Amino acid sequence: MTDRAMDVLIDEVVVGLAEDADVARLEALAAEDPVLAARLDVARAKFAALDATADELAVPQDLWARIDAELNSEPTATAPQPTPSAGVIDLSAVRAQVSRWRASALTGIAAALVMAILLGWNVLTPQDPAVVAILLDARGEAVAMVEGMPDNTTRVTLLERQDVPPDQVMQVWTKPRADGPPVSLGLLETGRSRTLTIQGLPTPNPQQLYEITAEPAGGSPTNLPTGPILGKGLAKAPVI
Amino acid sequence: MTDHAQLIEACAAGDRAALKRLLDAEGGRMLGVATRMLRRSDLAEDAVQDAMVLVWRRAGQYDPQRGSALGWIYTILRNRCLTMLRNEARETPTAPDVIDETREGSVLDHAWDRLDHASDLRRCLEGLDAGTRRAILSSYVLGHSHGEIAGRMKAPLGSVKSWVRRGLSKLRECLS
Repeated sequence: MTDRAMDVLIDEVVVGLAEDADVARLEALAAEDPVLAARLDVARAKFAALDATADELAVPQDLWARIDAELNSEPTATAPQPTPSAGVIDLSAVRAQVSRWRASALTGIAAALVMAILLGWNVLTPQDPAVVAILLDARGEAVAMVEGMPDNTTRVTLLERQDVPPDQVMQVWTKPRADGPPVSLGLLETGRSRTLTIQGLPTPNPQQLYEITAEPAGGSPTNLPTGPILGKGLAKAPVI
Repeated sequence: MTDHAQLIEACAAGDRAALKRLLDAEGGRMLGVATRMLRRSDLAEDAVQDAMVLVWRRAGQYDPQRGSALGWIYTILRNRCLTMLRNEARETPTAPDVIDETREGSVLDHAWDRLDHASDLRRCLEGLDAGTRRAILSSYVLGHSHGEIAGRMKAPLGSVKSWVRRGLSKLRECLS
Protein backbone atom coordinates (compact mmCIF):
# COMPACT_ATOMS: atom_id res chain seq x y z
CA MET A 1 0.00 0.00 0.00
CA THR A 2 1.35 3.44 -0.88
CA ASP A 3 1.82 6.02 1.81
CA ARG A 4 -0.96 8.12 0.34
CA ALA A 5 -3.37 5.20 0.22
CA MET A 6 -2.48 4.53 3.86
CA ASP A 7 -3.26 8.19 4.72
CA VAL A 8 -6.67 7.81 3.08
CA LEU A 9 -7.35 4.57 4.94
CA ILE A 10 -6.27 6.11 8.27
CA ASP A 11 -8.55 9.13 7.79
CA GLU A 12 -11.51 6.99 6.76
CA VAL A 13 -11.01 4.76 9.80
CA VAL A 14 -10.79 7.79 12.09
CA VAL A 15 -13.93 9.54 10.81
CA GLY A 16 -15.80 6.23 10.74
CA LEU A 17 -16.20 5.65 7.01
CA ALA A 18 -14.07 2.52 6.67
CA GLU A 19 -15.46 -1.00 6.46
CA ASP A 20 -15.19 -3.15 9.61
CA ALA A 21 -12.59 -5.36 7.95
CA ASP A 22 -10.42 -2.34 7.08
CA VAL A 23 -10.67 -1.03 10.64
CA ALA A 24 -9.62 -4.41 12.03
CA ARG A 25 -6.79 -4.66 9.50
CA LEU A 26 -5.44 -1.21 10.31
CA GLU A 27 -5.64 -1.81 14.05
CA ALA A 28 -3.84 -5.12 13.66
CA LEU A 29 -1.10 -3.47 11.59
CA ALA A 30 -0.82 -0.58 14.06
CA ALA A 31 -0.47 -3.03 16.95
CA GLU A 32 2.74 -4.26 15.35
CA ASP A 33 4.04 -1.04 13.85
CA PRO A 34 4.66 1.85 16.25
CA VAL A 35 5.18 4.32 13.38
CA LEU A 36 1.80 3.49 11.89
CA ALA A 37 0.24 3.60 15.37
CA ALA A 38 1.62 7.12 15.81
CA ARG A 39 0.15 8.21 12.45
CA LEU A 40 -3.21 6.85 13.55
CA ASP A 41 -2.97 8.69 16.86
CA VAL A 42 -2.14 11.97 15.12
CA ALA A 43 -5.12 11.56 12.79
CA ARG A 44 -7.42 10.79 15.72
CA ALA A 45 -6.18 13.77 17.72
CA LYS A 46 -7.09 16.07 14.79
CA PHE A 47 -10.76 15.19 15.07
CA ALA A 48 -10.95 14.82 18.85
CA ALA A 49 -12.20 18.40 19.27
CA LEU A 50 -15.51 17.18 17.84
CA ASP A 51 -16.01 14.78 20.78
CA ALA A 52 -16.03 17.78 23.09
CA THR A 53 -18.98 19.31 21.21
CA ALA A 54 -21.42 16.64 22.45
CA ASP A 55 -23.90 17.46 25.20
CA GLU A 56 -23.03 16.23 28.65
CA LEU A 57 -25.99 14.02 29.54
CA ALA A 58 -27.04 12.73 32.94
CA VAL A 59 -25.55 9.29 33.58
CA PRO A 60 -28.26 6.91 34.86
CA GLN A 61 -27.81 5.86 38.47
CA ASP A 62 -27.54 2.18 37.62
CA LEU A 63 -24.96 2.43 34.83
CA TRP A 64 -22.01 1.82 37.12
CA ALA A 65 -23.77 -1.15 38.70
CA ARG A 66 -24.31 -2.61 35.22
CA ILE A 67 -20.65 -2.17 34.28
CA ASP A 68 -19.52 -3.58 37.62
CA ALA A 69 -21.81 -6.60 37.24
CA GLU A 70 -20.55 -7.26 33.71
CA LEU A 71 -16.96 -7.19 34.91
CA ASN A 72 -17.85 -9.55 37.76
CA SER A 73 -19.40 -12.01 35.35
CA GLU A 74 -16.22 -12.10 33.24
CA PRO A 75 -13.72 -14.88 33.76
CA THR A 76 -11.34 -12.19 35.06
CA ALA A 77 -13.15 -12.18 38.36
CA THR A 78 -11.97 -15.68 39.10
CA ALA A 79 -8.35 -14.86 38.38
CA PRO A 80 -6.44 -14.48 41.65
CA GLN A 81 -5.12 -11.09 40.71
CA PRO A 82 -5.05 -9.23 37.45
CA THR A 83 -1.53 -8.45 36.34
CA PRO A 84 -0.84 -5.34 34.33
CA SER A 85 1.60 -7.32 32.25
CA ALA A 86 -1.28 -9.43 30.99
CA GLY A 87 -1.79 -6.72 28.34
CA VAL A 88 -1.24 -8.57 25.12
CA ILE A 89 0.65 -5.81 23.43
CA ASP A 90 3.01 -4.67 26.10
CA LEU A 91 4.69 -1.68 24.53
CA SER A 92 7.00 -1.07 27.45
CA ALA A 93 8.45 -4.51 26.88
CA VAL A 94 8.79 -3.74 23.19
CA ARG A 95 10.54 -0.48 23.99
CA ALA A 96 12.87 -2.24 26.38
CA GLN A 97 13.67 -4.71 23.65
CA VAL A 98 14.26 -1.88 21.21
CA SER A 99 16.72 -0.16 23.52
CA ARG A 100 18.47 -3.45 24.22
CA TRP A 101 18.66 -3.94 20.51
CA ARG A 102 20.13 -0.50 20.04
CA ALA A 103 22.72 -1.19 22.69
CA SER A 104 23.95 -4.20 20.84
CA ALA A 105 23.25 -2.86 17.37
CA LEU A 106 26.79 -3.01 16.10
CA THR A 107 27.33 -6.54 17.27
CA GLY A 108 23.95 -7.45 15.86
CA ILE A 109 24.63 -5.98 12.45
CA ALA A 110 28.00 -7.72 12.31
CA ALA A 111 26.43 -11.00 13.29
CA ALA A 112 23.68 -10.52 10.72
CA LEU A 113 26.20 -9.93 7.98
CA VAL A 114 28.12 -13.04 8.89
CA MET A 115 24.90 -15.03 8.94
CA ALA A 116 23.84 -13.61 5.62
CA ILE A 117 27.09 -14.64 4.03
CA LEU A 118 27.03 -18.06 5.61
CA LEU A 119 23.40 -18.93 5.13
CA GLY A 120 22.37 -16.87 2.14
CA TRP A 121 20.14 -13.82 2.03
CA ASN A 122 16.93 -15.77 1.86
CA VAL A 123 16.96 -16.67 5.55
CA LEU A 124 16.85 -12.99 6.42
CA THR A 125 13.93 -12.22 4.15
CA PRO A 126 10.85 -12.19 6.36
CA GLN A 127 8.33 -14.68 5.17
CA ASP A 128 5.11 -13.23 3.79
CA PRO A 129 1.98 -14.87 5.13
CA ALA A 130 -0.02 -17.04 2.73
CA VAL A 131 -3.21 -16.00 4.50
CA VAL A 132 -4.29 -13.52 7.17
CA ALA A 133 -7.40 -13.85 9.32
CA ILE A 134 -8.84 -11.32 11.76
CA LEU A 135 -10.65 -13.17 14.52
CA LEU A 136 -13.73 -11.43 15.92
CA ASP A 137 -15.52 -12.11 19.18
CA ALA A 138 -19.29 -12.43 19.55
CA ARG A 139 -19.62 -8.65 19.61
CA GLY A 140 -17.75 -8.21 16.37
CA GLU A 141 -14.65 -6.80 18.08
CA ALA A 142 -11.31 -7.85 16.62
CA VAL A 143 -9.50 -9.99 19.22
CA ALA A 144 -6.63 -11.51 17.26
CA MET A 145 -4.80 -11.47 13.95
CA VAL A 146 -3.66 -14.83 12.58
CA GLU A 147 -1.03 -15.03 9.87
CA GLY A 148 -0.66 -18.45 8.27
CA MET A 149 2.75 -18.90 6.63
CA PRO A 150 3.28 -21.19 3.62
CA ASP A 151 5.43 -23.51 5.79
CA ASN A 152 2.55 -23.83 8.28
CA THR A 153 3.95 -21.71 11.04
CA THR A 154 1.12 -19.60 12.35
CA ARG A 155 1.69 -16.22 13.94
CA VAL A 156 -1.07 -15.27 16.38
CA THR A 157 -1.16 -11.62 17.48
CA LEU A 158 -3.67 -11.02 20.26
CA LEU A 159 -5.34 -7.63 19.99
CA GLU A 160 -7.20 -7.70 23.25
CA ARG A 161 -6.47 -9.05 26.69
CA GLN A 162 -8.25 -12.36 27.04
CA ASP A 163 -8.72 -13.17 30.68
CA VAL A 164 -9.24 -16.90 30.69
CA PRO A 165 -9.57 -18.52 34.14
CA PRO A 166 -6.30 -19.78 35.66
CA ASP A 167 -7.20 -23.42 35.07
CA GLN A 168 -7.83 -22.83 31.37
CA VAL A 169 -5.74 -22.05 28.34
CA MET A 170 -6.32 -20.54 24.91
CA GLN A 171 -6.14 -23.04 22.08
CA VAL A 172 -5.84 -22.08 18.41
CA TRP A 173 -7.69 -24.12 15.79
CA THR A 174 -8.04 -24.19 12.05
CA LYS A 175 -10.02 -26.15 9.51
CA PRO A 176 -7.66 -26.97 6.64
CA ARG A 177 -10.68 -28.40 4.80
CA ALA A 178 -14.01 -26.60 5.09
CA ASP A 179 -15.88 -29.91 5.49
CA GLY A 180 -13.21 -31.53 7.69
CA PRO A 181 -12.69 -31.45 11.46
CA PRO A 182 -10.87 -28.59 13.24
CA VAL A 183 -7.17 -29.23 13.84
CA SER A 184 -5.32 -27.81 16.83
CA LEU A 185 -2.47 -25.46 15.92
CA GLY A 186 -1.30 -25.18 19.52
CA LEU A 187 -1.83 -23.46 22.86
CA LEU A 188 -1.27 -19.87 23.94
CA GLU A 189 -0.26 -20.91 27.43
CA THR A 190 1.12 -17.58 28.54
CA GLY A 191 -1.90 -15.68 27.29
CA ARG A 192 0.38 -13.74 24.96
CA SER A 193 0.88 -13.50 21.23
CA ARG A 194 3.17 -16.18 19.78
CA THR A 195 4.13 -18.15 16.70
CA LEU A 196 2.93 -21.74 16.53
CA THR A 197 4.52 -24.46 14.42
CA ILE A 198 2.79 -27.58 13.21
CA GLN A 199 3.85 -30.27 10.77
CA GLY A 200 1.84 -32.18 8.21
CA LEU A 201 -0.84 -29.66 7.21
CA PRO A 202 -1.36 -28.34 3.68
CA THR A 203 -0.41 -24.71 2.96
CA PRO A 204 -3.17 -22.53 4.41
CA ASN A 205 -5.75 -21.43 1.88
CA PRO A 206 -8.04 -18.40 1.64
CA GLN A 207 -11.42 -18.95 3.31
CA GLN A 208 -9.79 -21.28 5.83
CA LEU A 209 -11.44 -20.96 9.26
CA TYR A 210 -9.36 -20.01 12.30
CA GLU A 211 -10.62 -19.80 15.85
CA ILE A 212 -9.43 -19.55 19.43
CA THR A 213 -11.28 -21.31 22.23
CA ALA A 214 -10.78 -21.53 26.00
CA GLU A 215 -9.88 -25.10 26.95
CA PRO A 216 -8.82 -26.96 30.12
CA ALA A 217 -5.14 -26.61 31.03
CA GLY A 218 -3.03 -28.73 28.70
CA GLY A 219 -5.48 -28.31 25.85
CA SER A 220 -8.77 -29.88 24.83
CA PRO A 221 -9.05 -33.46 26.17
CA THR A 222 -10.90 -34.57 23.02
CA ASN A 223 -8.53 -32.81 20.62
CA LEU A 224 -11.57 -30.97 19.30
CA PRO A 225 -12.77 -27.54 20.48
CA THR A 226 -14.91 -27.91 23.60
CA GLY A 227 -14.76 -24.50 25.28
CA PRO A 228 -16.32 -21.14 24.48
CA ILE A 229 -15.11 -19.46 21.27
CA LEU A 230 -13.07 -16.36 22.10
CA GLY A 231 -12.72 -15.33 18.47
CA LYS A 232 -13.07 -16.70 14.98
CA GLY A 233 -12.60 -15.57 11.41
CA LEU A 234 -12.05 -16.68 7.83
CA ALA A 235 -8.65 -16.21 6.22
CA LYS A 236 -7.96 -14.13 3.17
CA ALA A 237 -4.87 -13.97 1.00
CA PRO A 238 -3.07 -10.68 1.65
CA VAL A 239 -2.36 -8.29 -1.20
CA ILE A 240 1.41 -8.10 -1.14
CA MET B 1 -8.61 18.15 36.63
CA THR B 2 -8.89 14.42 36.11
CA ASP B 3 -5.74 12.62 35.07
CA HIS B 4 -7.27 10.17 32.65
CA ALA B 5 -3.98 8.48 31.77
CA GLN B 6 -3.31 7.68 35.42
CA LEU B 7 -6.80 6.26 35.83
CA ILE B 8 -6.35 4.00 32.80
CA GLU B 9 -3.05 2.75 34.20
CA ALA B 10 -4.79 2.05 37.52
CA CYS B 11 -7.41 0.07 35.60
CA ALA B 12 -4.64 -1.99 34.01
CA ALA B 13 -3.42 -2.78 37.52
CA GLY B 14 -6.88 -4.04 38.44
CA ASP B 15 -8.20 -1.00 40.34
CA ARG B 16 -11.96 -1.07 39.75
CA ALA B 17 -12.45 2.27 41.56
CA ALA B 18 -10.37 3.96 38.87
CA LEU B 19 -12.84 2.82 36.22
CA LYS B 20 -15.67 4.24 38.29
CA ARG B 21 -13.85 7.57 38.47
CA LEU B 22 -13.44 7.57 34.70
CA LEU B 23 -17.18 7.00 34.35
CA ASP B 24 -17.90 9.80 36.82
CA ALA B 25 -15.60 12.18 34.97
CA GLU B 26 -16.46 11.32 31.35
CA GLY B 27 -19.69 9.28 31.39
CA GLY B 28 -21.93 12.28 30.69
CA ARG B 29 -19.98 13.41 27.63
CA MET B 30 -19.61 9.81 26.45
CA LEU B 31 -23.36 9.42 26.65
CA GLY B 32 -23.72 12.62 24.62
CA VAL B 33 -21.36 11.32 21.90
CA ALA B 34 -23.13 7.94 21.81
CA THR B 35 -26.61 9.51 21.69
CA ARG B 36 -25.66 11.68 18.70
CA MET B 37 -24.72 8.51 16.82
CA LEU B 38 -27.25 5.96 18.06
CA ARG B 39 -30.23 8.33 18.56
CA ARG B 40 -31.79 6.16 21.30
CA SER B 41 -30.81 6.69 24.91
CA ASP B 42 -31.05 2.99 25.80
CA LEU B 43 -28.66 2.05 22.98
CA ALA B 44 -26.34 4.90 23.96
CA GLU B 45 -26.22 3.61 27.54
CA ASP B 46 -25.39 0.13 26.25
CA ALA B 47 -22.61 1.61 24.13
CA VAL B 48 -21.09 3.47 27.09
CA GLN B 49 -21.35 0.32 29.21
CA ASP B 50 -19.61 -1.76 26.52
CA ALA B 51 -16.97 0.93 26.02
CA MET B 52 -16.16 1.05 29.76
CA VAL B 53 -15.80 -2.74 29.84
CA LEU B 54 -13.46 -2.51 26.83
CA VAL B 55 -11.47 0.28 28.51
CA TRP B 56 -11.03 -2.09 31.44
CA ARG B 57 -10.02 -5.03 29.28
CA ARG B 58 -7.67 -3.05 27.06
CA ALA B 59 -6.20 -0.80 29.74
CA GLY B 60 -2.95 -2.79 29.65
CA GLN B 61 -2.52 -1.82 26.00
CA TYR B 62 -2.81 1.92 26.63
CA ASP B 63 0.52 3.63 26.19
CA PRO B 64 0.61 7.10 27.80
CA GLN B 65 3.42 8.15 25.46
CA ARG B 66 1.04 7.76 22.57
CA GLY B 67 -1.84 10.16 22.05
CA SER B 68 -4.17 11.48 24.71
CA ALA B 69 -5.95 9.25 27.18
CA LEU B 70 -9.27 10.90 26.43
CA GLY B 71 -8.77 10.33 22.71
CA TRP B 72 -8.10 6.66 23.43
CA ILE B 73 -11.34 6.33 25.42
CA TYR B 74 -13.44 8.13 22.81
CA THR B 75 -11.95 6.01 20.02
CA ILE B 76 -13.13 2.89 21.84
CA LEU B 77 -16.56 4.43 22.38
CA ARG B 78 -16.98 5.65 18.78
CA ASN B 79 -15.86 2.29 17.37
CA ARG B 80 -18.37 0.54 19.58
CA CYS B 81 -21.15 2.91 18.42
CA LEU B 82 -20.16 2.39 14.77
CA THR B 83 -20.26 -1.39 15.17
CA MET B 84 -23.70 -1.13 16.77
CA LEU B 85 -24.93 1.17 13.98
CA ARG B 86 -23.65 -1.13 11.24
CA ASN B 87 -25.08 -4.23 12.96
CA GLU B 88 -28.41 -2.49 13.36
CA ALA B 89 -28.39 -1.59 9.67
CA ARG B 90 -27.67 -5.22 8.79
CA GLU B 91 -30.37 -6.58 11.08
CA THR B 92 -33.06 -4.22 9.79
CA PRO B 93 -32.84 -4.70 6.04
CA THR B 94 -35.51 -2.14 5.22
CA ALA B 95 -34.39 1.46 5.51
CA PRO B 96 -36.25 3.46 8.13
CA ASP B 97 -39.28 5.11 6.53
CA VAL B 98 -38.63 8.45 8.06
CA ILE B 99 -35.17 9.88 8.25
CA ASP B 100 -35.30 12.66 10.73
CA GLU B 101 -33.25 15.13 8.75
CA THR B 102 -34.33 18.00 10.98
CA ARG B 103 -32.82 16.29 14.01
CA GLU B 104 -29.68 15.41 12.09
CA GLY B 105 -29.36 18.95 10.82
CA SER B 106 -29.68 20.44 14.26
CA VAL B 107 -27.20 17.96 15.79
CA LEU B 108 -24.66 18.88 13.11
CA ASP B 109 -25.28 22.63 13.45
CA HIS B 110 -24.93 22.32 17.19
CA ALA B 111 -21.62 20.47 16.88
CA TRP B 112 -20.36 23.01 14.36
CA ASP B 113 -21.39 25.98 16.55
CA ARG B 114 -19.67 24.48 19.55
CA LEU B 115 -16.48 23.44 17.79
CA ASP B 116 -13.75 25.52 19.35
CA HIS B 117 -13.47 28.66 17.20
CA ALA B 118 -9.75 28.86 17.78
CA SER B 119 -9.14 25.25 16.76
CA ASP B 120 -7.18 24.26 13.66
CA LEU B 121 -9.86 21.71 12.85
CA ARG B 122 -12.47 24.46 12.58
CA ARG B 123 -10.22 26.70 10.49
CA CYS B 124 -9.45 23.83 8.12
CA LEU B 125 -13.06 22.62 7.90
CA GLU B 126 -14.05 26.19 7.02
CA GLY B 127 -11.77 25.89 3.99
CA LEU B 128 -13.92 23.09 2.55
CA ASP B 129 -17.08 23.61 0.55
CA ALA B 130 -20.25 23.33 2.61
CA GLY B 131 -21.32 19.94 1.19
CA THR B 132 -18.01 18.22 1.83
CA ARG B 133 -17.77 19.73 5.30
CA ARG B 134 -21.24 18.44 6.11
CA ALA B 135 -20.39 14.98 4.77
CA ILE B 136 -17.28 14.74 6.96
CA LEU B 137 -19.13 16.08 10.00
CA SER B 138 -22.00 13.64 9.53
CA SER B 139 -19.60 10.70 9.34
CA TYR B 140 -17.76 11.68 12.51
CA VAL B 141 -20.64 13.08 14.55
CA LEU B 142 -23.60 10.96 13.38
CA GLY B 143 -21.66 7.88 12.29
CA HIS B 144 -23.09 8.01 8.77
CA SER B 145 -21.69 5.70 6.13
CA HIS B 146 -20.86 6.77 2.57
CA GLY B 147 -24.22 5.32 1.52
CA GLU B 148 -26.17 7.27 4.12
CA ILE B 149 -24.41 10.48 3.18
CA ALA B 150 -25.11 9.84 -0.50
CA GLY B 151 -28.79 9.18 0.25
CA ARG B 152 -29.18 12.46 2.09
CA MET B 153 -27.21 14.50 -0.43
CA LYS B 154 -29.12 12.77 -3.25
CA ALA B 155 -25.80 12.21 -4.98
CA PRO B 156 -24.23 9.09 -6.50
CA LEU B 157 -22.26 6.96 -4.05
CA GLY B 158 -19.07 7.11 -6.14
CA SER B 159 -19.12 10.90 -6.26
CA VAL B 160 -19.67 11.14 -2.52
CA LYS B 161 -16.75 8.81 -1.88
CA SER B 162 -14.43 10.90 -3.99
CA TRP B 163 -15.66 14.24 -2.54
CA VAL B 164 -15.06 12.97 0.96
CA ARG B 165 -11.68 11.56 0.01
CA ARG B 166 -10.63 14.88 -1.51
CA GLY B 167 -12.02 16.74 1.49
CA LEU B 168 -10.08 14.55 3.92
CA SER B 169 -6.94 15.04 1.90
CA LYS B 170 -7.37 18.86 1.96
CA LEU B 171 -7.95 18.66 5.70
CA ARG B 172 -4.83 16.56 6.12
CA GLU B 173 -2.72 19.12 4.26
CA CYS B 174 -4.28 22.01 6.14
CA LEU B 175 -3.79 20.38 9.53
CA SER B 176 -0.26 19.10 9.02
